[in-house]
Amino acid sequence: MDSKIISGELKRCSTWQFALWISAAGAVLLWGVYAMLLCWFKGLNQTNMNDSYGFALWIWADLAIIALGGGAFFTGFLRYIIGKDELKNIVNYAVIIGFICYSSALIILGIDVGQPIRGWFIFWHANVHSMLTEVAFCLTCYLFVLIIEYIPIILENRRIDNIPFFHNLGHNMHSIMAVFAATGVFLSFFHQGSLGGVSGVLFGRPFAYREGVLIWPWTFFLFTWSAAACGPCFTILITKITEKITGKRLVKDNVIELLAKISGWMIGTYIIAKIIDTVYWIKVTLPATGFGLMDFYSNNPFYGIWILVLEIVICGILPALILISEKGRKNRYGLIIAAILAVLGVCINRWVLVLQVMAAPVLTFETWQMYFPSWQEIATTILPLAYGIIIISFSYRYLPVFPQEKELNPWTINGGK
Amino acid sequence: MKIGRRSFLSLGIGGIAGIMLSPLPWKLMDDSAIWTQAWPWTPVPPKGEATYVNSACTLCPGGCGISVRKINGRAVKIEGIEGHPVNDGGICVLGLSGLQLLYGPTRIRFPFKRVGERGAGKWSEISWEEAISEVAQKLGDLRKNGQSESVACLSGNDKGTVPALFKRFFSAYGSSNFMRIPSVSDSYELAVLRSSGQKAQLAFDIENSDFILSFGSGIIEGWGSPVHMIRANSIVRKAGGKIIQIEPRLSNTAAKSDKWIPINPGTEYALALGIANVIILKSLFNKNFVDSNTSEFNKFAAFVKSVYSIDNVEKITGIKKETIEALALEFAGAAKPVAVCGRGQGKVQGSLGEVMAVQALNALVGNINKKGGVFTVSDHRYFTLPGSVPDATKLANHFTDEVKSGKYTAAVLFVYESNPLYSLSDSKSVREAFAKIPFIVSFSSFMDETATNSDLILPNHVYLERYEDVYAASLPIPVISLSSPVVSPQFDTKHAGDVILKIAKKMGSPVADSFAWNSYDSYLEEAFGDNWKVLSEQGFLEDRTVALAALITASKKFDFTAGFTDIKSLYTPLVTEGDPDKYPLFLIPYDSMRIASGYIGDPPFAVKTVEDTVLKGNDILVEVNPVTAKALGLLEGNSAIVETARGKAKVKIHLFEGIMPGLVAMPRGLGHSAYDNYLAGKGVNINELIGSLEDPASGLDAAWGIRAALIKA
Amino acid sequence: MKEEKSDKSAKKFGMVIDLDKCTGCGSCMVACMAENNVPFKEDESKKLVSITWMRVYRLTNGKSFPDTEICYLPKPCQHCGGKGEHGHSPCVSVCPATATDYNKETGIVSQIYTRCFGCRYCMAACPYHARYFNWWDPVWPKGMEEYLSPNVSVRMRGVVEKCSFCFHRYQLAKDKAYYEGRSDIGENEYQTACAQACPAGAITFGDLNDSGHAVYELKKNKNAFRLLERLQTNPKIYYLSSRQWIRRAGDNYLKNEK
Ligand SMILES: Nc1nc2c(c(=O)[nH]1)N[C@H]1C(S)=C(S)[C@@H](COP(=O)(O)OP(=O)(O)OC[C@H]3O[C@@H](n4cnc5c(=O)[nH]c(N)nc54)[C@H](O)[C@@H]3O)O[C@H]1N2
Ligand SMILES: Nc1nc2c(c(=O)[nH]1)N[C@H]1C(S)=C(S)[C@@H](COP(=O)(O)OP(=O)(O)OC[C@H]3O[C@@H](n4cnc5c(=O)[nH]c(N)nc54)[C@H](O)[C@@H]3O)O[C@H]1N2
Ligand code: SF4
Ligand code: SF4
Ligand code: SF4
Ligand code: SF4
Ligand code: SF4
Ligand SMILES: [Mo]
Repeated sequence: MDSKIISGELKRCSTWQFALWISAAGAVLLWGVYAMLLCWFKGLNQTNMNDSYGFALWIWADLAIIALGGGAFFTGFLRYIIGKDELKNIVNYAVIIGFICYSSALIILGIDVGQPIRGWFIFWHANVHSMLTEVAFCLTCYLFVLIIEYIPIILENRRIDNIPFFHNLGHNMHSIMAVFAATGVFLSFFHQGSLGGVSGVLFGRPFAYREGVLIWPWTFFLFTWSAAACGPCFTILITKITEKITGKRLVKDNVIELLAKISGWMIGTYIIAKIIDTVYWIKVTLPATGFGLMDFYSNNPFYGIWILVLEIVICGILPALILISEKGRKNRYGLIIAAILAVLGVCINRWVLVLQVMAAPVLTFETWQMYFPSWQEIATTILPLAYGIIIISFSYRYLPVFPQEKELNPWTINGGK
Repeated sequence: MKIGRRSFLSLGIGGIAGIMLSPLPWKLMDDSAIWTQAWPWTPVPPKGEATYVNSACTLCPGGCGISVRKINGRAVKIEGIEGHPVNDGGICVLGLSGLQLLYGPTRIRFPFKRVGERGAGKWSEISWEEAISEVAQKLGDLRKNGQSESVACLSGNDKGTVPALFKRFFSAYGSSNFMRIPSVSDSYELAVLRSSGQKAQLAFDIENSDFILSFGSGIIEGWGSPVHMIRANSIVRKAGGKIIQIEPRLSNTAAKSDKWIPINPGTEYALALGIANVIILKSLFNKNFVDSNTSEFNKFAAFVKSVYSIDNVEKITGIKKETIEALALEFAGAAKPVAVCGRGQGKVQGSLGEVMAVQALNALVGNINKKGGVFTVSDHRYFTLPGSVPDATKLANHFTDEVKSGKYTAAVLFVYESNPLYSLSDSKSVREAFAKIPFIVSFSSFMDETATNSDLILPNHVYLERYEDVYAASLPIPVISLSSPVVSPQFDTKHAGDVILKIAKKMGSPVADSFAWNSYDSYLEEAFGDNWKVLSEQGFLEDRTVALAALITASKKFDFTAGFTDIKSLYTPLVTEGDPDKYPLFLIPYDSMRIASGYIGDPPFAVKTVEDTVLKGNDILVEVNPVTAKALGLLEGNSAIVETARGKAKVKIHLFEGIMPGLVAMPRGLGHSAYDNYLAGKGVNINELIGSLEDPASGLDAAWGIRAALIKA
Repeated sequence: MKEEKSDKSAKKFGMVIDLDKCTGCGSCMVACMAENNVPFKEDESKKLVSITWMRVYRLTNGKSFPDTEICYLPKPCQHCGGKGEHGHSPCVSVCPATATDYNKETGIVSQIYTRCFGCRYCMAACPYHARYFNWWDPVWPKGMEEYLSPNVSVRMRGVVEKCSFCFHRYQLAKDKAYYEGRSDIGENEYQTACAQACPAGAITFGDLNDSGHAVYELKKNKNAFRLLERLQTNPKIYYLSSRQWIRRAGDNYLKNEK
């Protein structure tokens, strides 16, 4: 039915199959939208957040998906600025994933604030001292960059490309894409950092607080670094999942392995920095506030020292070692496991720096606060997942996302026009 | 026909640019911000000039002076009056929440007559004319049949001109059954009467004392005049005085005291006698005072020596000998010591023996009617009325039993400024008794438990809408303040004083003959005579002559035996109700400044201050020592059933190290079924679980708790 | 953050709360609610969603019967001056929309409800849990809006609120002084609702910089301490307690620290 708009000679599933798939994702999306509307019309009493958990699941989701969306800026950086040409075969997909992550983050932020209609006050009455102001500006600008990067991919759709104007527009945009990519990279370095700054500057919260240089706490740099390190792993993981679902190979191994190798080195260096940061925090920053390390890892039902071990050793050192070693990253399982661990690691890091901060008491006469999100929070957090699946599905079906697909799947090419 | 791609694009881009350059999006953005700042459902209080009206708070017997801020006729904030002799600017949780009562949803708006079953909440609005006629008719008929005595009144208060009007009405009508709600005042009064032959109250001069030996009195928990006492506590602190708190639970008073001495509950009198024994044995007492101002000292001395030896007292009270001895030395050695009794807020009468034992200590150190000691404040009259105000006070604690058993037939009951269905102990019996009274008339301003279960409601103005003379509880130097209308009556209510006048008038001669006044206000002014000018202009009267009078008339001797030939019968240990095997624990009530437990239910602000270790959702938490809880297999937050011989209730467990093992403590003032959704249905009314325990020496209700079992639910 | 005022006469309003006197009666909490149009709900027992600008904590010494001790500790916003008293309070520095502000003239940390868009970053930043979010629309039972004061605007759902040191009272006092031709206000002219109501006289409020004010001397008491001083938040609430365990509860100490 829709074969006329399907790109080139690529084989895609039947329309009804596609419709079924989309409606399944759509149902989840609607559930999320329903929860979103509840939050907007009834207010944030729909959540399980409270005055101790002003930041909760949503802020974690924002931080995590933006870190994961880091694959876009870092792949772009490698492709356009460092000149790793092979990566052109995955950069499209990295951009789409990045776009999904960033737009999702903004949707969640739109639900998360108590007065969404006044959300623009963050720009209008901007406080230059606030990390969140920096985040808001960079995030919004970068989303525009991602849209600009996404447009040429859309313009490559077979039907659109037939229109000469769009064909030319797409061509022209491609040729200046390096400029946007560079802008994007710059913005990303900043807002990933600002997100790290969000918790790092909280000098009233010894668990989160980090010293640093000038106005930037160490978490500023660690966040950028970890996003650059783990984002590509997420791109790899999503690519592998896409390959699994479509039953086709879409990106050549050498491309994946290159990205994996760079990622491995990034994770490795990041985790060394993270360990240094943690040791300095334990030995210098914390004691000055009267806290010992174990004050934050005991006397509560959830946050034990295991979480630090999991984050640094199992989800940091281990994936770094796997990906750095040629044998590791060339092994099918090794690659996937390392990617999963890296993604998990960055998610735990963001979790800890949002939720454990809220959970741990600072006043001596307060106690640990535990929290479990309401279904509305969960639904709205899953919403981006469904939304992402739908964007990816449409993009994959109608746009030439993977330049190597034709080459890798010669026998599945549609017969003629 | 065809729109070119180029023109389409330029149209699009141009259009967008045009819109952005126009004021439209910016205006919409601005509007959106303004709209969220003033959502139509978020109230915007109208502005206006602020004015202040001075008045007095009547929400408890405290008698604080208040100043109410008004904006354009609306009362917006209640504050304490600085310099007022009772509270000097301070004010309590309840007093601060007064406007929530004034403007609250539980106000009764017009006179109501019950139409459905009693308590079913079906009412019909009737006119004041009809309502008053109906009462007058009913009372007239009873009087004609010689049944005047079957009309009774339960009043929250017996001081001042309004109770005086009630009493006068009852006297003219021919009933002696005007009763005030039981409180520790009853036993204070009885103790003074029996030991000195005076009709007077006890008033403890806390702020001027330097050593306060408190037998469970909640000095900072709403005892006496609550704000005044909290101030007194600070004054003592600042002056370097000492407070010793003796009670089984670490109350706030205990927590603030210099020393908390846990004691086996109900044995306070024995400790007092033990201390007395030590003082006598060591000859530490004030010989001058004892010789010239007391009688029966030797009999008393012999008695405590034989029965309350320090070893014995250690056994009874669980307090170490050394501690008792040290207390005696410190108490007798202090310059201005005072021993204090009346547990918690003083809501229960307590035993005569306990008050006498404590008074004996005060007599031994010679601190009766002395600065920093205890005063016997006689029932002075600030107002005079032509003819007399009869003294018709009866013990209310026997009332429900007599009605229930049929010993007394009540045909009509007036309920004024009290909520007996909620606040009297053994609620079940009270309900049964009330069911036997065919006609209950409530004067309540609020839909409380008793009003809900009455037959006719004659709603009184709230204190902020009326004049009334207000008496601060238990001060050595009595203070009367004037409650003045702050706002005009919000609803079709009437001053209870006016209603009584109207009923009397309607009944005609001879009842009407005692009531010459046209209105309560003119009666009030006339009654105060010369004092009215000061009262109305200054807002309060402070009668220093009374304290002086007490000092001068101290020649009245204090009888250590309270006139009992057999002292033992005064100090009989009381056995609390319940089989010790079935009920191995003791349930005790405790009072809190944050939970009103008198005739006023806690307003929303006050409920908001209740800690989550006391109330969680609708569940009440009881305090249990971890040792006791462990033995019962109970953990923090567990559900359990508290059971006593009087009833049972579902509770949750709060582990508290500050309570003696073997006890269960429950706050007073929760478990309302009436009032609004901010109060009703929250927690348990402890009166449902506790019965009365008659003191054989006095007939007073001496219950301090009840045997109980705690079972994991 | 406003431009730095080089005015040497800058005020620094603060409180000294005597914990030896505080009885835990709760008047300060209710005085604040009544003064500042604080809303209430049917169930206020979930304290983490209950708005009380002033909250009285109950501290225990952790010992078992009969050595248990209790202390009440009233806690309003600490009006933190931030590191070096530069006005970078934990909350002010993070608010992206400048909806909370450090007033250099008074040292008061304000909260501008109509500016706040409810991101709650300030709540995450405040170690004292002095900030409260309006999770619900404020609703008064019919008729009860009558008592609302026009001096403090009613907050809409979705914004953060907190103790303002009854700033409107300062403004009223300043206005009055201005009309009477005075340039300054007296200690008694500006008192907070909680200090005024406290039956125990436990709360003293005034200008910490003014040697004529009672708080000036009180804060120098050897028993004075502030909460979490080690975080360098520089609070303007001082507490007094004669008990060592209470003073120690004011801050965190390492296990081996004396
Ligand atoms: N926050 C808060 N505060 C409260 C309460 C609360 O629940 N919360 N409860 C309030 C209530 S309802 C009560 S009953 C009280 C308890 O305070 P109590 O002192 O127990 O009040 P009453 O039981 O009425 O006893 C006072 C008695 O003193 C006598 N009296 C009155 N005026 C004078 C006087 O001038 N001199 C002398 N010598 N005697 C006088 C009267 O006969 C009166 O019966 O606590 C009150 N305070
Ligand atoms: N619900 C409700 N909404 C309203 C209104 C209302 O009455 N009620 N009125 C509407 C109108 S007419 C107006 S003008 C607006 C006004 O709205 P707001 O600006 O909110 O008015 P206020 O309540 O006077 O001030 C809010 C807060 O500003 C802080 N503040 C006071 N002075 C200063 C200062 O010098 N610096 C800083 N940074 N903060 C200060 C105070 O702490 C006060 O709590 O609201 C509009 N919306
Ligand atoms: S202590 Fe009693 S009289 Fe005083 S303000 Fe409180 S309720 Fe009113
Ligand atoms: S009002 Fe005073 S005594 Fe009561 S809790 Fe507050 S500070 Fe303490
Ligand atoms: S106590 Fe909290 S809200 Fe108040 S100034 Fe300090 S950080 Fe800000
Ligand atoms: S919640 Fe309001 S005051 Fe707090 S940081 Fe966000 S915008 Fe600022
Ligand atoms: S200073 Fe004012 S706003 Fe702050 S707690 Fe006290 S009464 Fe409330
Ligand atoms: Mo305005």
